[in-house]
Amino acid sequence: MESHKDCEINAPHSMGTTIIGVTYNGGVVLGADSRTSTGVYVANRASDKITQLTDNVYLCRSGSAADSQTVSDYVRYFLHQHTIQLGQPATVKVAANLVRLLSYSNKNMLQTGMIIGGWDKYEGGKIFGVPLGGTLLELPFTIGVANSISSLVPTFFASLCGSVTCNEKLVNSLQVHLLAVIICSGSTYLYGFFDQAWKEGMTQEEAEQLVVKAVSLAIARDGASGGVVRTVTINSEGVTRKYYPEDKLPRWHEELEPQNSLLDMLSSSSPEPMVS
Amino acid sequence: MLLHLFFLIFVGWQVFEYNGSTIVGMVGKNCFAIASDRRLGVNLQTVATDFQRIYKFHDKLLVGLSGLGTDAQTLYQRLVFRHKLYQLREERDMKPETFANLVSAVLYEKRFGPYFCQPVIAGLGDDDKPFICTMDSTWSSYFMYIGQNLELAKDCVVAGSASESLYGACEAFFKPDMEPDELFEVVSQALLASVDRDCLSGRGGHIYIVTPDDTKEKILKGRMD
Repeated sequence: MESHKDCEINAPHSMGTTIIGVTYNGGVVLGADSRTSTGVYVANRASDKITQLTDNVYLCRSGSAADSQTVSDYVRYFLHQHTIQLGQPATVKVAANLVRLLSYSNKNMLQTGMIIGGWDKYEGGKIFGVPLGGTLLELPFTIGVANSISSLVPTFFASLCGSVTCNEKLVNSLQVHLLAVIICSGSTYLYGFFDQAWKEGMTQEEAEQLVVKAVSLAIARDGASGGVVRTVTINSEGVTRKYYPEDKLPRWHEELEPQNSLLDMLSSSSPEPMVS
Repeated sequence: MLLHLFFLIFVGWQVFEYNGSTIVGMVGKNCFAIASDRRLGVNLQTVATDFQRIYKFHDKLLVGLSGLGTDAQTLYQRLVFRHKLYQLREERDMKPETFANLVSAVLYEKRFGPYFCQPVIAGLGDDDKPFICTMDSTWSSYFMYIGQNLELAKDCVVAGSASESLYGACEAFFKPDMEPDELFEVVSQALLASVDRDCLSGRGGHIYIVTPDDTKEKILKGRMD
């Protein structure tokens, strides 16, 4: 019983995770939980998964912690050079493309999915996703495309990224050439929620509340997400980081008071095989 | 396809971590505490946050069953059956030491197709001496800690997915001969600290403090992540 646990403590750190990027009228909001797990052990319960690439572009990381940190370091370096050569701040699209180029070229070795979000003066707030494999996705929710900041049409993108753990012992014993086994973690709980809760033309407050609510819902259900909720809001004025500890998060199911609950008519939940 | 393969693997290799569970038992001065977490999950998804793992057999005997949820419930039903028959025949309750032997016999019957369950047995024996013990699912190693007689350095037993963290936490917090109130504090802190570091256990705690006169049951509010 103890032996199979050994490979877990030495497992690569992965972020079974919930990350979200949402655009609103005027910018973007990126949100993430803060749990980094090694197998089932929580290696870091207050990690920061939203890293800065430039002053106006940030990146949400998920999957292998090592891979995503390395990719973000490279992209930050390339973007810095690019900014110097260009003479003005880099656009979100360029940052996303750099991430995509690295992910796609090294797809055999990398196991990380990322969300790039930021604000630039040409396109305004934009969210791009680069899931496993190196696709570049910009998912507009509506068809209209904005040409200037004033007529910005908000778009919406929720993370498709989950945790990826590489269990070497598993691979060897099964003789399967799997590099990774994919656990779709926190994000799976949010598709239906976003279908219902997202709307166009949100304000910054609404977008932030939506992100916090979504991440807290995923944390409540997903074992690989937890800790605190961090959000980063990027707009033309700059960048704001917010931090929501557990007591500031909305409460769900088990913590809500039951109202007209059918469970009231059931007797105790423990199974009694013989009634005395 | 890949997902199906993964979930199959999960049950085969990490069957004790399929539902996620944590139990700790600790001995005090003429009392004992047994505590569990409250989460029931299916791999990473949380399905319930009020799952009962500790069962009371009689006033001075509580058993916590960690590991696979279905086996915990089935094992409980089998043990209750055996214990009630014993009560009918002997017209008295079973002593914890005897019960521990019963549990290990029931588990060993299934030596080559075991219940994926690690029990933690805690009770007050003769003269109300606290008794705690745990064993693995096939009784191939049998750890027994008797509260007062052997005067061992470790007077706690742990089981479940956060058991390794719990070893550390219990070592750090435990003192011999604690009164019930202090014991409650120590067990709560050790349990919460350990399950906070485990993805598969948590969502609060369920603690029983048993003295010769009464049993106190308390529900802890913990991190709901």
